[in-house]
Amino acid sequence: MNHELLKAAAESNQWLAIFPELLLGSLALLLLALEIILPKKQHTTIPAVAIIGQIGVLLYQLLHFNSVFVGHDTFAGLLHHSANGQFMRAFFLLASILVCVLGTIALAKQKMPRIEFFHIVIVVSAAMMLLAQSNNFILLFVALETVTVGFYILVSYFRTSPLSLEAGLKYLIMGALSSGLLLFGIVLLYGVAGNSTLPGSSADAMNFNALHTFLAANSHNFLAAVGIVLVLSGVAFKIGAVPFQIWIPDVYQGAPTPVTAFLAVASKAAGFSLLLILTQSVFTPYEYLTTPVLGLMAAATILFGNLAALTQHNVKRLIGLSGVSHAGYLLIGVVAAASQPLAIGAIGFYLFAYLLASFAVFGVMTHVAGADDADQELEHYADLAKTHPFLGAVLAIGLGSLAGIPPLAGFMGKLLIFIAAFKAGLHGLLLVAIVGVVISIYYYFGWIKAAFFETWRAPLLEGETDPRPVRTPVGVAAGVTLATVALATVVLGFYQGAFGDWLLSLKF
Amino acid sequence: MAALFFYIFSTFTVASALAVVFNKNTVASALALLMSLVGVASIFVLLDAFLLAALMVFVYAGAVVALFLFIVMLLDVQGGVRKPFKKITIASSGIALVLLALGLYSFWKSGAQTTAELGQIVPVGATLKNYGELLFTTYLLPVQIVGFLLLIAMLGVIVLSKKFEGLEDIK
Repeated sequence: MNHELLKAAAESNQWLAIFPELLLGSLALLLLALEIILPKKQHTTIPAVAIIGQIGVLLYQLLHFNSVFVGHDTFAGLLHHSANGQFMRAFFLLASILVCVLGTIALAKQKMPRIEFFHIVIVVSAAMMLLAQSNNFILLFVALETVTVGFYILVSYFRTSPLSLEAGLKYLIMGALSSGLLLFGIVLLYGVAGNSTLPGSSADAMNFNALHTFLAANSHNFLAAVGIVLVLSGVAFKIGAVPFQIWIPDVYQGAPTPVTAFLAVASKAAGFSLLLILTQSVFTPYEYLTTPVLGLMAAATILFGNLAALTQHNVKRLIGLSGVSHAGYLLIGVVAAASQPLAIGAIGFYLFAYLLASFAVFGVMTHVAGADDADQELEHYADLAKTHPFLGAVLAIGLGSLAGIPPLAGFMGKLLIFIAAFKAGLHGLLLVAIVGVVISIYYYFGWIKAAFFETWRAPLLEGETDPRPVRTPVGVAAGVTLATVALATVVLGFYQGAFGDWLLSLKF
Repeated sequence: MAALFFYIFSTFTVASALAVVFNKNTVASALALLMSLVGVASIFVLLDAFLLAALMVFVYAGAVVALFLFIVMLLDVQGGVRKPFKKITIASSGIALVLLALGLYSFWKSGAQTTAELGQIVPVGATLKNYGELLFTTYLLPVQIVGFLLLIAMLGVIVLSKKFEGLEDIK
């Protein structure tokens, strides 16, 4: 082995390029160290350290948004830094901060170890940030496995609840299956592209650039096509697209509410950033294959998600299945991005609006939930607007944005995706999406109705208790967070300004 | 000659894999899995991937299957009576069978590819030295990530399985 070559490879390890991830990793380790050092009474300050530390990293990331590495490969081609990657990094940091805020609320109602929760959330978000910049299947798989293993633990974190454990087990089995599909696809692609008798072959076919060169030279290779479909299936598991949505309702219901939010927002966004990287830069020569596959998936996902959500009474299952339909709208964006670069920005905007609206809703859910986190029925929301007008308003804004009611941010997100789809000529998909939106209004407004309009309830009998969990007042930090998220949803709906312009100009 | 060995080893591997599924005794299943893994390792030897073959035997055959056997013996599973299949199970297996047949048919139709002879490939990570050098230079970042993965996996096991005596103390 050539030592000069290895030296050169080692020199391209530009650790500064992943400084935010390094900071997150150190922060996660610091939390564990603090738990050992600090006396028990001061352990309540550790979640605050986690949140403030992450806000610091977010500020660093925003200040160094146009870093010198954007547009370059580092780590011998393992990572590629793009403007979209920078946006996704900030996105994951924001999501992880919000999850930590919700985590402090939810953990206060449970007798559970605390610090490990924040540690795992931080490590998982660092891995997602790397995932959004990956340019090599090895790094992609390692980062994805870190995310998935973290989620196995987080989903079953409330282990005293049988539903949480069941959710963890189901997620473990389904996650392992999807990792297997993904890995099998990767191996097929690597094997085919490594055959030196085919044009464009490469000894380092794990690298996306090399793989792209090979695929462009062999645009109708059967084995490569099988590999591509398997890789797409593995990613579709993570975003919960039909026919890989089977785990969603049970896992979303059993997981602790902050983790459900993390799964719904950050995990889905990670899947989509991966899908965009793959369809935009690697699998482009196989568009004739990926476009119909993803298009069919999008249509099935929208219809299934919305129809299945109609009959749900448990709000966590409802939000999970509605999340499936959101994955469908985003998939339309991915299909449209093949011909309309505008769609990449539209997906970014949609994800951002989805983050704001989801965390508004999940924030309210965390507050309303009782000690049994999996048991959150629609009827628990009765009279919420009366007893907690603030929570009621936040819930209405969040749900309205998810439903895509103008003038909220969710409406703009849907509009941008639909415009991109129209320009790309996807009229059939557009029709399905609009039907889906109309169906979704029914269940979103059913929820709002439960919270806002008085319904007659049978008077409680002797010895019967109110099924609704006891409602606690909203804390200052949580209140400020929820108000910010709701306000941002409204403002972003009215005025997109420079942020919207910048997002729509995003490229790879 | 290599082709003959390939057929011997692959038949051995597939036969042991089938034995894993069809054996009613869990201990015998685990041992059949061990045989199957050894078969895979010998195919790796045929491919000149000696390191991979050794790792396969050490990690999977040695550690993982031993763990399986431990758990099987800890649980002390008795071979229960098999329940009759439900109608829905039979129907869904029928659909799956049709899908499998369709998939195999599509493979068969497009399977006869004019792929040229497999070219000579330089096995970069074949020896332990090369492998180690690559791990600590080009692939240092994934190694570091795996470190964090193992850390959270360990923490997860502790959180999910440890008995917390005074749960009120955890604040």
